[in-house]
Amino acid sequence: MEITMKKTISYSLITAALLAISISFTSCEKVSPTGVLIGNTSVDDRVKQSLTNYTYIGDNMDFDLVDSIQEYSFLVGSDSHITFDPGRLEEMIRIGIENDDLFYCHLGDIVDTKPEYYYNTKLSLYDASRLWKAKYLRQIINEYYSEEIGIYIDKRIKNTSRDSYRTWENWDLPFHPVVGNHDITHNGWSLFCDLFKTSFYEFTVTIGGQYDRFIFLDSANGTLGNFQIERIEEKALRDDYKEIRNTFVFTHTNIFRPALNEFASTYCREELYYILNKLSEWNTTIAFWGHVHAWDDRMFGEVRHITMPSMNFVDHPDGGDDLLVRVTVKKNGDAIVEPVGLHCKQRSKEELENEGYLTSTQ
Amino acid sequence: MPTLRQTILFLVFSLTVSTATAQYYSGDHQFDGENKNEVSASVTTGRNIITGPAIGNTLHYKHYFNNHWSVDGGINLQYTKGLYGYKAKGEYHIQVLSFHIFASGEYMFNHYHSYNTNENVGNMSLRFERGYWDITLGGSLIGYNMMGDHYTEPLTLTFGAHATLRPRTNDWNVGLLFRNYDDFYYENWNINWGLDFYYRFNPKLKLFGEFNVRPAGSMSQLASKYETTGKVGLIYRWK
Repeated sequence: MEITMKKTISYSLITAALLAISISFTSCEKVSPTGVLIGNTSVDDRVKQSLTNYTYIGDNMDFDLVDSIQEYSFLVGSDSHITFDPGRLEEMIRIGIENDDLFYCHLGDIVDTKPEYYYNTKLSLYDASRLWKAKYLRQIINEYYSEEIGIYIDKRIKNTSRDSYRTWENWDLPFHPVVGNHDITHNGWSLFCDLFKTSFYEFTVTIGGQYDRFIFLDSANGTLGNFQIERIEEKALRDDYKEIRNTFVFTHTNIFRPALNEFASTYCREELYYILNKLSEWNTTIAFWGHVHAWDDRMFGEVRHITMPSMNFVDHPDGGDDLLVRVTVKKNGDAIVEPVGLHCKQRSKEELENEGYLTSTQ
Repeated sequence: MPTLRQTILFLVFSLTVSTATAQYYSGDHQFDGENKNEVSASVTTGRNIITGPAIGNTLHYKHYFNNHWSVDGGINLQYTKGLYGYKAKGEYHIQVLSFHIFASGEYMFNHYHSYNTNENVGNMSLRFERGYWDITLGGSLIGYNMMGDHYTEPLTLTFGAHATLRPRTNDWNVGLLFRNYDDFYYENWNINWGLDFYYRFNPKLKLFGEFNVRPAGSMSQLASKYETTGKVGLIYRWK
């Protein structure tokens, strides 16, 4: 009896050890064995921090377009998993600037979590931001703002509030991401938050006196979490809309599995049904999903759901013709979706070094 | 995602290795040769981040035709969740060497009242049992109707593993489990971790219970709290 007990305990310990080893085998270098089971940051904590940051930057996100603009477009990409080369992100922004897209949305898993990767991404976004500012900003010189003060406005936005008058440094590339599961490993949230500030926010585009609403949700842990859901129910982000024409929703974790062999986890049952109901309640025009690295486009109820492919070099070394989508919102409110290709190749270590990027971990 | 497949295979392998010694077994999920009827009733309570505090009841009835065939029906009443469901299951049991193999087919219906959603699930599974462990592999087809629309998810892998401290013939036991299903739901890769126990008063009456942690997300998704539940109930068998 005692021998059997000892055997059972020892076998159980062996099993537990093998289980731990097997879990660590499944993790790539970005995921710690403990991190597989317990996130370094909870969605509740991230949303609390996001709301705090949103309080300061939220008003700066809105676009109140000048009357001469009748329609606008925006680009959506997902799962760039940037390591040393942020080339695909650079290409996305370059395409947007060439096409006069109003802003950029990213569905998460932007940068694989290492400070060096974030350094390169920050450098890349800084360069892209300079290009964007050079094209769209115009300096205001009048009796209030001298040339030395250096106040700029966006040529496409009505200058009806103080927020639309900013210094060069206070204008930012309108790049609007949500956080993905690969963005939060190894305390990655601190890196993400430093660069992108918030993972739960919304803004509006006002055009011709009509509002289009853009909602960004944090689902990096496969759940919106208790705190975010309570804030959604309390209309914590905005509650001052009179009439919404279109609502677009962006988040990382997908609802629909495009195929039998797509194993990425989705939401648990009640939450899945809650989200689908909430999208309907918001009269959502299009909901964008990432995470699963596969394309899917379907109507469910009155909502169009687009699940985006990844835009990274690993999945698509030669690029592809549909790694991004451009949504053009027409004057009558129709949202037209078209695929946009990314084709740049991954740069060599020498090429990256010549452009000032880091090429090895410190 | 090959790493997930590797994990499952590795886990199955490790469980097999850990119990690859002679064990005896009289079974707990099979006909005992005398009592053909079995009823169980349980109370479930816990908390879910979407629906808040949860309390409900489940009721099962199982009939053994012989040592091979059985049928099983159950109802689930989760009052605070507004979740009501029923299911029917048929099972075939066979012993191969020291393995007990159970092949089952199941239909389940759930009504999520708060979300005006009806869910239909079909499942076919194989369960392999030995004295100290069991593993389940199968497939589920999950479809749901809401807002006047319908969606059937691609076939979902069903998997589960369960190991116990004592052999199944013992009058008490404590076990650990992980699986992507429970009595009244089937998930995708959202894994439910649990601790279960039973105490057998006599061949006809048994107390059982479970403590389950059902995180949102899995593997690289860094699990976050979704639901914790405790369940306790009684099983009664008669001729």
